Amino acid sequence: MSVSSSRKITQILGAELDKLVTLPLIGLTLMVTFILNLGLAAAFTSVDLQEAAGTQNILNTGLSSMGYLQAGFIILGILTTCSEYTGGQIRTTLTTIPWRGFQLSTKYLALAIITIPAASITTASGVLYTFIMMKDTAVVIEIDEMIKSLAGATGYLTLTTLLSAAIGALLRRTTPALVVLLGYYFIVSPLSKDFLHNTKYFFPDTAGYYMFMPPSSDEINVLTPMEGTGISMLWTLVFITAAIVFYRKRDA
Amino acid sequence: MRAFNAELSKLISLPGIWLALLIGAFAPAAIAALDSIAQKEEIIAGVSTRLSEVGYIGLALGVQGVIILGVLAVSSEYLTESSESGGGQQITTSLTVVSSRIHFLLAKAGAVTVISILLCIAAIMTTVSATHLILGEYAPAFEWSRLIGAVCYWTFTALLALGITFLTKNGIIPLAVLIINSSVVSFSVLLYRVTKLAFYLPDRAGAEMFMFTDNTSTGSLFDGFHTPFTGGLVMFAWVVVVFIVAAIVFHRRDVAA
Repeated sequence: MSVSSSRKITQILGAELDKLVTLPLIGLTLMVTFILNLGLAAAFTSVDLQEAAGTQNILNTGLSSMGYLQAGFIILGILTTCSEYTGGQIRTTLTTIPWRGFQLSTKYLALAIITIPAASITTASGVLYTFIMMKDTAVVIEIDEMIKSLAGATGYLTLTTLLSAAIGALLRRTTPALVVLLGYYFIVSPLSKDFLHNTKYFFPDTAGYYMFMPPSSDEINVLTPMEGTGISMLWTLVFITAAIVFYRKRDA
Repeated sequence: MRAFNAELSKLISLPGIWLALLIGAFAPAAIAALDSIAQKEEIIAGVSTRLSEVGYIGLALGVQGVIILGVLAVSSEYLTESSESGGGQQITTSLTVVSSRIHFLLAKAGAVTVISILLCIAAIMTTVSATHLILGEYAPAFEWSRLIGAVCYWTFTALLALGITFLTKNGIIPLAVLIINSSVVSFSVLLYRVTKLAFYLPDRAGAEMFMFTDNTSTGSLFDGFHTPFTGGLVMFAWVVVVFIVAAIVFHRRDVAA
């Protein structure tokens, strides 16, 4: 039976979306991330409110939790690809969809479709909470600056999720993938910032930081948001390509 | 005793354990070495402020190794095998052989404790030699009391990881929470700016055992809140509470699902 290729794409995409939506851990991860982010936003807000009034920037405070927030999205990415390998689901998948590169690409597409709304809701809720709590004391911000930052934050989280999914597909095991990614984002990267002075801007997380941080007058902004996006996207694409190449070559 | 030996042999033969052992034994030394290089520049420039912490920072961050150890020890039991090999879980076999759940829990905790202590001693040796190699005569004096504190910190952290994983049955949540919380950007660092209660969180209290001494008023990262001994007690209390909860839940819960 021959199926037209556009029909094929929608069917595969539908299947991948179905798999993601029905994975119980995905929903749990997103919900826990959302609640934790609100808690962290509350903590950061109350820390900032203790400091001198009139100097805070709502966006800076509202987005301070990004560092922790990305953990939830890293887990989301890893779960998406590694869940295929627990219990041998991957063999069923490949029996039904024998086009490997195609299948993995649609998986990333499905992941992006889920991540983008989740990321924007989560970041927006954090910023909104900060806005409500601090609107009397903080410096007024422009609405379009806020939208730009939120879009940047959503983009950064989506790229991080896709990157994690690519690493997950390369390593195929949840625990090593989680250790490698969390170890990089939370230990290696913060530590190495002091030792690398110029090269650090080319790493995915530091470049990604410039995607959402509003330009401040205190420090020199090394990268523009666009450059940050470019570098982050390049990293994600490199890892996705590697994942697809290995996926096509390797035994399931 | 036989259950303990069995747990030890199960732990050693886990594939993921090599990652844990490598990280545990060498990451502290690597971090301490990098920090020592930075400190050496400051010593030469005459602005060194936190020399006494150099090696201990490595030990505080290198605790990741035993977190992986503690989590893997339990989560591997609950891993569902592929449908081709029956779709079973190791835990059913384990509990058939050692039918007392409390014995099983204690044997596992014992095995993790022994490996954590050995791993921490290995980490201390690599870290001390790394700092001495780089800093030479400036190397900080390593006091026994603080090193024992570090060993306790590692062991308690591994046991916390074990206990939490018994509750969740899945390694993802404890790994994520504990790795982030023992890193530079720990939740406790944020929370103690909001409330003093954060000083009683296990990682913050546990770090008092070796990170914060009384005489480092010279620009230490944070000032100590507890004495090393009370810090250790607070962390131990957490371990005990988590274990009691884990034991009760584990005792009452069905194995499958």
